[in-house]
Amino acid sequence: MKIEVQNLRHIYPTGEEALKGLSLVLDGSASIAIIGQNGSGKTTLVKHFNGILRPTSGDVLINGESIGTRSTAKWSKVVGYVFQNPDDQLFLDTVRKELEFGPRKIGMPEETIAQQTELAAKLCGLDKLLDRHPFDLTSTQKKFCTIASIITMNPDALVFDEPTCGQDVRGVDRLCEIVNTLKGMGKLCITISHDMKFVVRNFDRVIVLYKGRVIMDGSAEAVFSRPEEISKSFVSPPPITRVAQGTGLKKTVFTIGAFMDAMKQTETEAAR
Amino acid sequence: MNKQLEVSNLSFRYSDTKQKAIADINFTVDEGEFFCIIGQNESGKSTLCSALVGLVPFYFTGKMKGDVVVLGENTRKSSVATLASKIGFVFQNPFNQLSYTTVSVAEELAYGLGNLGIEREEMHRRVERIAGLMRVDHLLNKSPLELSGGQVQRVAIGSAFIMQPKILVLDECTTQLDPLGSEEVFDVVKALNGEGITVIMADHDMERVARCADHILVLDGGKQVAVGTPAEIFSDPSIRQHSIEPPDFVTIGRRLREEGLYSGDITLTEEAAITAAKGALVR
Amino acid sequence: MLMAKKKTSSYIPMDSPIDRLHPMVKIYAIFCLGISALVCPTFILSYVLVIFLFIVAWKAKLFKKFAKFIIGFAIPITVMLLFIHGLYSPKNVTYIANFGFARLGLEGTMYAIKLVGGLLVFLGSFLLMTTTTHPGKLVTALIESGMNPKVGYLVLASLNIVPQMQRRMIIIKEAQMARGVEVEGKLLTRATAFIPLIGPLVMSSLVDVQERGMTLETRGFGAKGVKTTSYIEVVERPVDRLIKRLLVVFLAITVVASILARLIR
Repeated sequence: MKIEVQNLRHIYPTGEEALKGLSLVLDGSASIAIIGQNGSGKTTLVKHFNGILRPTSGDVLINGESIGTRSTAKWSKVVGYVFQNPDDQLFLDTVRKELEFGPRKIGMPEETIAQQTELAAKLCGLDKLLDRHPFDLTSTQKKFCTIASIITMNPDALVFDEPTCGQDVRGVDRLCEIVNTLKGMGKLCITISHDMKFVVRNFDRVIVLYKGRVIMDGSAEAVFSRPEEISKSFVSPPPITRVAQGTGLKKTVFTIGAFMDAMKQTETEAAR
Repeated sequence: MNKQLEVSNLSFRYSDTKQKAIADINFTVDEGEFFCIIGQNESGKSTLCSALVGLVPFYFTGKMKGDVVVLGENTRKSSVATLASKIGFVFQNPFNQLSYTTVSVAEELAYGLGNLGIEREEMHRRVERIAGLMRVDHLLNKSPLELSGGQVQRVAIGSAFIMQPKILVLDECTTQLDPLGSEEVFDVVKALNGEGITVIMADHDMERVARCADHILVLDGGKQVAVGTPAEIFSDPSIRQHSIEPPDFVTIGRRLREEGLYSGDITLTEEAAITAAKGALVR
Repeated sequence: MLMAKKKTSSYIPMDSPIDRLHPMVKIYAIFCLGISALVCPTFILSYVLVIFLFIVAWKAKLFKKFAKFIIGFAIPITVMLLFIHGLYSPKNVTYIANFGFARLGLEGTMYAIKLVGGLLVFLGSFLLMTTTTHPGKLVTALIESGMNPKVGYLVLASLNIVPQMQRRMIIIKEAQMARGVEVEGKLLTRATAFIPLIGPLVMSSLVDVQERGMTLETRGFGAKGVKTTSYIEVVERPVDRLIKRLLVVFLAITVVASILARLIR
């Protein structure tokens, strides 16, 4: 799976230039997080990956094919997009039907649909809720229902739009499990997120956008080691990283374990 | 200290449901406090917040037991409209907190006052003052629908606060906002608390809760599992059983203590954690 | 994240003397002018009134918009009514044209022209009212004249429903396209897309309705025993009273003259 963005410009009908000539290559299965303040162009960018938005100039290539060659519905076979609000998508009377809806629309064979539904339901914690009416689900379960309904379609890439919004600890843990499993299956996971803890826990590559341009692109470590630069787009490193930086530790750390190791290392160096 | 809110043995079961959404809740909130309610999703936070302002039992039907007394008035013997000038309410979705009957932010702020029959000159006076407090004075002539989520949420807080309640209940009011919008809203809330307004806030952000709360109530499955200061709540390891993760700052302090590198108080904030870590390095 | 960027309703704020007129004057105008146009036996009055409305539109600095609407509405409606009444009206006695498949009758044609004239006066004046009146002022004026405040809320909130639903629909379309639903193309394709689009619209509207109800309640809506006040001031000036009286007098004269004219015939 390879998504190439070539000099992408997008101007909304209001005249607002949301993307000012971006170029990126996203390939393989290294997961990618796109971060930056509201208005930086994050959503505009990812909506080009499945054709919801089309370039004003420049191009987006999915596995070498220009995005303009197919309708969004046809692209959904290859690039999945999980929207933020489940109420904008759910409309059938059982969870099972919601999960089977997408695959049927894209022409998946019935036995594969059954397999995919089982897989997605298990992954999203819905295996015991398949016959429930979506109306009766809790908000967390609804969210996972929409995620599952895209996973069943078995796309090669998935875009998650602010997936941790409104999730509690258990919900985020399950989300992390889902992303890891998808990565293990060789899928390209892309997320837009404000939750830096979630980003550093699951995403190998971090792209920072600011006013329609890429201002940083690299590993989480590389990006968060430069807090002053990313603060332009109102992004700050997650709490543990900030404490490490405030303490003066040289290494950029994301977990308590790594923090303690870095502390011990600094102590040892100081002792010498 | 002056008790402004008393909740005793409160339980509520929504109509057509089998399980109680909240059960046996007991706590009090003093004047000027910053009181936080935490718990995983579906633990009853929203039901509790609704009960504090009278939406339970007057808007959401069901069986209510126990009492909520707001500034001396029992909510059962009152009405949501009457309670509005004692206890204000702001919830998650900013756009569902607009009246959709106004053409400017100024009108929107004054909306509740019209319902209370406040005279026009007083309305104008209050709108000017509130707009300043909410930092939306530059937006007064704009249509509420042209605003960002964070701005709308501040207008929502303003339109609740303009009715001059002494207590403000905020149910996850920054969950749907981006970090900038979230911070702007939170600055306004802190400022109001600084002026003596009692704030009751349900929230997911443990770092923020640890930093600002005077007391915290923990809910799990509708039941009250603990009430205490941030230090008391977050130093208790059993909190994890209720799917609450203490703020990372607290965990850092705890690990440093375990390694014998720090022996001070619980580190509730970023600054405290940094101080503790720096202290550990110097040793 | 959440963002909303559209204006509400069809009100176009413009600094014009028409804008400044009291809302009730405009309501009076719709009824007095509209009824006069329909009551008058000749169609000439309605077209004179339409010209008058054009002048009012020009004064309101909305000439182009008004003209666009009138022409955009008038032409198809005129053709349709001419067709129906001109060719098939039972009143037809004298024939002025022969198209082979049917004949164009004079009486029917005259009737059609009169009907169009009346419609144009009603709709034109209604359009001028909505584009030159602040909806809040309109509802305040109506409440002051005795309308129930809850009805007032319904009117205002309804004005906003369509733009909101349109905005939501865009998001729902995008979300369902991402599940393989084709929303553009042949009629059949669009028809199949109907339920996946309407379903979420209804569901999310229900959620919104519930939450908006919460907001109204906690802002004191429907407080018992309270006379509601309004942030916006609506003042009736002497010129407003004068115009109201002129409109009523105009209607009275037209009605009397029409009755007399019919009696004389």
